Amino acid sequence: MSFFGPVLLAALAGLPMGWALWAAASQVFDAPAWQALWADPQTLRAWGMTLWTGLASTVLVWWTVARLLAHGFIRQQLARWLTHVPALLATPHAAMAIGLVLWLAPSGWALRLVSSGLSGFDAPPPWLTTQDPWGLGLILALWLKEVPFLLWVAATQLQREDLRRRWQAEFALAQTLGHTPATAFAQVVWPQLAPRLRWPLLAVLAYGLTVVDMALIIGPATPPTLAVLAWQWLGDADAAMQAQGAAAAGALTASVAIGAGVTVVVLRAWSGLRTFASRGSLPQRSPRQFAGEGSHRQKIPNWLLHSCGRLPLQPNGHSSQHGHSAAGLSRGRMSGLALAIGGAYLAVWFALTVGSVSGVWSFPQLWPSLWTGDAWAQVIASAPTVWTTLGLAAASASVCLVWSVAWLELTPRRWQQALRPWWLLPLVLPSVLWVVGLYSVALQWRLEGQWLGLLLAHAVMVLPYVLLALEPAYLAVDPRQSAVVASLGQGRWTDLLRIKWPLLQRAIASAWAVGFAVSVAQYLPTLYVGAGRFATVTTEAVTLASGAQRSLMSAYAALQMLLPVLAFALAAYLGRPRQFEKIGSMKDNT
Amino acid sequence: MNAGLQIDIERLGTAAQTLVQDLHLHVPAGEILTLMGPSGCGKSSVLAATAGTLASVSEGLQPLQFEGRVQLNGRDLTALPTHLRGVGLVFQDALLFAHMTVAENLLFAVPRALPLAQRQARVQQALQEAELSGMGERDPSTLSGGQRARVALMRALLAEPQALLLDEPFSKLDAALRAQLRPWVFAHVRERRIPVVLVTHDEQDVADPQRVVHLRVTAEESTNHV
Repeated sequence: MSFFGPVLLAALAGLPMGWALWAAASQVFDAPAWQALWADPQTLRAWGMTLWTGLASTVLVWWTVARLLAHGFIRQQLARWLTHVPALLATPHAAMAIGLVLWLAPSGWALRLVSSGLSGFDAPPPWLTTQDPWGLGLILALWLKEVPFLLWVAATQLQREDLRRRWQAEFALAQTLGHTPATAFAQVVWPQLAPRLRWPLLAVLAYGLTVVDMALIIGPATPPTLAVLAWQWLGDADAAMQAQGAAAAGALTASVAIGAGVTVVVLRAWSGLRTFASRGSLPQRSPRQFAGEGSHRQKIPNWLLHSCGRLPLQPNGHSSQHGHSAAGLSRGRMSGLALAIGGAYLAVWFALTVGSVSGVWSFPQLWPSLWTGDAWAQVIASAPTVWTTLGLAAASASVCLVWSVAWLELTPRRWQQALRPWWLLPLVLPSVLWVVGLYSVALQWRLEGQWLGLLLAHAVMVLPYVLLALEPAYLAVDPRQSAVVASLGQGRWTDLLRIKWPLLQRAIASAWAVGFAVSVAQYLPTLYVGAGRFATVTTEAVTLASGAQRSLMSAYAALQMLLPVLAFALAAYLGRPRQFEKIGSMKDNT
Repeated sequence: MNAGLQIDIERLGTAAQTLVQDLHLHVPAGEILTLMGPSGCGKSSVLAATAGTLASVSEGLQPLQFEGRVQLNGRDLTALPTHLRGVGLVFQDALLFAHMTVAENLLFAVPRALPLAQRQARVQQALQEAELSGMGERDPSTLSGGQRARVALMRALLAEPQALLLDEPFSKLDAALRAQLRPWVFAHVRERRIPVVLVTHDEQDVADPQRVVHLRVTAEESTNHV
């Protein structure tokens, strides 16, 4: 009987997902559509652009996160970063892309800063700086958006009490064996942490290869990426073009699989090299080596150190620092990369804010000559859009949270392990594929264009994020705690309602906020499964991005960003730790 | 023979590996039985089987299976869930609930059938016995290790258990503190006139030299009757 709950839960989430994937697969395998796709002159170049932007952004993200983690771990700044990361995570992809456009466009702030004095431009130059044909803008936007995500997943692992304590001990031990903090991290902590990031890294890759909303705003246009093409074809009135779109969604899925395969091979080779490298640099215990340290470091390939643990403070002449490792480091020093990313986010938020209240703003001027609240008035007038957004986000986050809590609470650990990849599929399969499948499900269940169908589609996309956010904290709960509660004569509900869930309040609240933010940012499912009948701030912002109404576009993008921020603020308030009575100096030491 | 705690283990272990076999323990009321053995011999699992919390020790491993019977004062506990067994449990980590004050931790354990004023009075009494008067409103994380251990024991006793299991209750404390805490703990549990099982790997912790059972790692050989 105890299996009833888990089976029901698995069916509740698994049925719509499995159904959608099956429906999508049955449309993807359509021979004429594949022939048409192959014959289309845009396909190959678009595919190349997809691979380039997806792979380049993923490599950059991996490299950045490796460096940031090394820096944060060695200087013990991770906990502090973790408090800021939600704000970055909450910034929706579309808002990020729009904010970057406001800076990078020929009429954007970057050029205004140097015009007309330095650049000599009196009018925006005819440059392709935003939808550049090389996909650089898209890569930049993806990099900025995905670094916080991967960092957040990694940091939640590093913040786990058991892992943190063990890794810190091993890290300290490695240094007593004569390694620099950087090498100790690269050879002891990173090899244990990196495999735990496989899934999130795959998600980053999949996102980079298949993103639509960001690519529409800041990606190349001639040709666009394959995901954008697929999306355009799917929206075509012609059934044959729709079939071609579905085939393109299949091709994207294959690209993700190929990309994942390449990544696995590269990482294997990498870890092989690493084993080789660390064998070459086994701890050298002679005191002389301590003094003349640095010799073993040279045996590690430089590119490896670059990517996973070089200390900015100690480029080469680190021997003087050696021996008083952590104590010798200034903990306050920020990483340049972290500052750059944080600065970019501030710049984007600022641009969106100013853009949303800008009226007349002729080119070389740094500030608008006319400020206006018209755009916001228009946003407020479209209250139904805001309410749809809020309702969908709150409902899908809540549904997923309840499901996740029940799943983690009721299901045996072995089930959780076995089915985990399945729940994370929405992260790694292209959203164009999901919308094809989810639309079919909605049609068959008569939910197409209905609020409930939209909720279902959002919930499928939100679920993996909520589960990922909640899982580490939930599984880290000491099982003996519940044993103690039961031994005090209290039943399971008392344990859950008065002990376990209150103690997890913070994790539960932030998992909900993560789900809320993910739902707000959804573009494809909202338009496609909603059959165009539902507008959210995200669909409005993306639609306006191709137009000329800068202030209205900025206002919607700002709101798109503001709503998740409010959700995170609410979560922080609800999850705040209890304030205990301040104690005097009466502490005795018995 | 009906009074007291009777633990009969035919077999305790995972599907693949037997941890404890053919172990029969009897603890009369008011007595403290000490269960000793090196780590990995399954002594904590014996307590978990007795308290019905095997799920909490099998974490991450194969689930533990228990074949045998647990009786308390003639009542068969084997099929009962933990919260109906009346068996108290204290671990080496005090496991005080971090979101409750010290007093709230204690109040949580007092049976709710009583009127609140009476429950509060018991908490105050327990604080006094734990030499923590006036510290009821403190955040448990501000207590010292010894204070936490005392709160954990008082909390277990406030639930009025009919038997008490102590799982290495002193192992996280330093030697001086242990020597201080031991007589305090033993006096308090004896006062309750309930059977107590203490698990430890430290000879110094033995409460009653007359009642000691040694478990060996290869439990197949150890046949213990007390």
